[in-house]
Amino acid sequence: MTAATTDLVEGGANARKAGQYVYIAAVVLLCAWVLVPLYFLLINTLSSPETVNAYPKRFIPEFDLGSLTFFANFAGILTALKNSVLVAGLTMIMSITIGAPAGYALSRFDFRGKELFRLLVLLTRAFPLPLLALPLAVMFIRVGIDDTIFGLALVHTTLAIPFAVLITFSLFSGIPIELEEAAWTLGCNRLTAFQKVILPLVLPGITASAIFAFVISWNEVFAAAVLTIENRTLTAFLLQNLDTSPLHLKFAGGFILVVPALIFIFAVRKYLFAMWGIANR
Amino acid sequence: MLRPKLAGAVSGLALLVSAASAQAEVLFWSTQAKPVEEAQAMRERVLAGAGEVDYQPNDAGPWITRLNAELEAGSGSIGVLGALHGDFSAMDPEDLVNLGDLGLGSASDTFNDLAKLGTDDLQYIPWMQASYIMAANKKALEHLPDGADINALTYDQLIEWSASVMEATGEAKFGFPAGPQGLKHRFFQGYLYPSYTNGVVRTFASDKAVTAWEKMRELWAVTNPGSTNFSFLQEQLLSEDVWIAFDHTSRLAGAFNERPDDFVAFPAPAGPEGRGFMPVIAGVAIPKTAPDMDAAKALVAHMLKPETQIATLRATNFFPVVDVALPDDLPPSVQAAGAAVATMSASADANPGLLPAGLGDKGGEFNRVFVDTFERIVLAGQPIEAVLDDQKKTLARIMDETGAPCWAPDAPSEGACPVE
Repeated sequence: MTAATTDLVEGGANARKAGQYVYIAAVVLLCAWVLVPLYFLLINTLSSPETVNAYPKRFIPEFDLGSLTFFANFAGILTALKNSVLVAGLTMIMSITIGAPAGYALSRFDFRGKELFRLLVLLTRAFPLPLLALPLAVMFIRVGIDDTIFGLALVHTTLAIPFAVLITFSLFSGIPIELEEAAWTLGCNRLTAFQKVILPLVLPGITASAIFAFVISWNEVFAAAVLTIENRTLTAFLLQNLDTSPLHLKFAGGFILVVPALIFIFAVRKYLFAMWGIANR
Repeated sequence: MLRPKLAGAVSGLALLVSAASAQAEVLFWSTQAKPVEEAQAMRERVLAGAGEVDYQPNDAGPWITRLNAELEAGSGSIGVLGALHGDFSAMDPEDLVNLGDLGLGSASDTFNDLAKLGTDDLQYIPWMQASYIMAANKKALEHLPDGADINALTYDQLIEWSASVMEATGEAKFGFPAGPQGLKHRFFQGYLYPSYTNGVVRTFASDKAVTAWEKMRELWAVTNPGSTNFSFLQEQLLSEDVWIAFDHTSRLAGAFNERPDDFVAFPAPAGPEGRGFMPVIAGVAIPKTAPDMDAAKALVAHMLKPETQIATLRATNFFPVVDVALPDDLPPSVQAAGAAVATMSASADANPGLLPAGLGDKGGEFNRVFVDTFERIVLAGQPIEAVLDDQKKTLARIMDETGAPCWAPDAPSEGACPVE
């Protein structure tokens, strides 16, 4: 009887231990999944062309700045970077200002065609951009917003809105309406109740969908290549030319495309992490 | 806490957005010189003396979409177009400004005729030319079959050579640009078919074509199977996955420029009907919506100046189309490719072909026929005669629909080129 109990306890401890190993292994695997490619990108960016083409690959960067220097002198790259940040920033702001109220309305009010609206909002993603780009460009030229940051941000906002609406919809749905009602009884009107009670609760979620919008805009090439000329975004400016470039420049170019997005996500991470219950520090 | 920040960001953005840039330069909208190093060289060197030029190289998709949008809207910002003959031939000549009155043109009448796109006037001005050649790692030379001259190889010798390299190294070291971006169709249209059948369209399903595809199968057996992912053989030459390669001169250039002492360039092989080869022509044109016609024409004229042509050669590895004396200090890739192309065209058994002409927007479908045939016969191992008979129908339909007459090396035709 006692022996059996110890066995059980030990068995339980073993199982817990095994579970822990699996947990740690999973964490390591997931981190490696993201970090190893980034690390290789970094090594190859900081290597000379000979090393990039050599085999086996090195695991320590040799700090050859040749490839990066090339891009530093590449005409127009800073302007393109600035444009990318502006377009992505505008996209983020516009998709949240349009998407969040729509999400709130979907979760709080009943109106006719609500289900249809939820479906229709997804339709903007149903058509491939190469198909839309031609009529869009014609219209933009006629209206006069062709080759502007605002025009491109409009297109990117359209692409990002379905995510903004659906993410914020589920966020608002997750917050009991009783909280809002309690605020109303304590002297808030709809607006102040939203501002003081709901907004702090949904902020992390809103950040997440803002990051989504930012990344969608950052990565988009086709519309950017067709709709902007003087004001090219970094992706339109570089990505098209990278696939035919030598390997060491592909790595360096890829690095340059990835790093600003990483910096941005790193900067807003505290809003994001708060979503999973980790305190907002 | 976040809201004032956001508000600040919005107003800051609005300020920046409203500051529109002044637009006084000519936009050079190109599908060529796309790799970042080439684009950089075009901007810094080739276009340095041409006034204010904004050189923008693009993928084919955005290139044509933007152009069509401007043509449809009736106003645009593109001043000068730079593209391959095939890109222009897919366009409506009405959308391009007639350029005959500029008094410019290539030294080759064949090129100038092609540039008329079937009309009476030049629709684009030939700008630069290239070709496809072979390149090999010097380590492969010791395995050359007895009695083979690298400057006068035959397809049989190439297969034998690649086989003995494979025997010696245990790996298939012949490389072929059969990747998604690879230019394999040009190998069939301009090299394999002319060399074996002395034709491309007429002889598409002939008995000689069957022999050609049998040879292609033999060659594929000693080809690096990764070739279906190779599009720029300079990469595989440098990584030594491939020792012997066929590709576009500018897609081999990187290998020669990085390690000039390790590689040799040589002509494409010959078959029973001679040494088939094909030029690549790029041209410059002006769309009818160009904002500043005079500046655009000045830029076109600049591109044809002898010194610009030499600068273009250095930047892109595309050769001049006008008569110029080449300087001695050209990059290794240019020297190697230039010598190989010269040997190829001067060889006794040279059988030069032309680019497909008169196909209009069916050029892509025409290429597809050859790529499909390759995939079915060589990759999927389907019976050669059956595949050729099948693909022949598609080819005949394309020729009938476009009414394109035969081009060299096919014998001339009255009306649409027949598939015999």
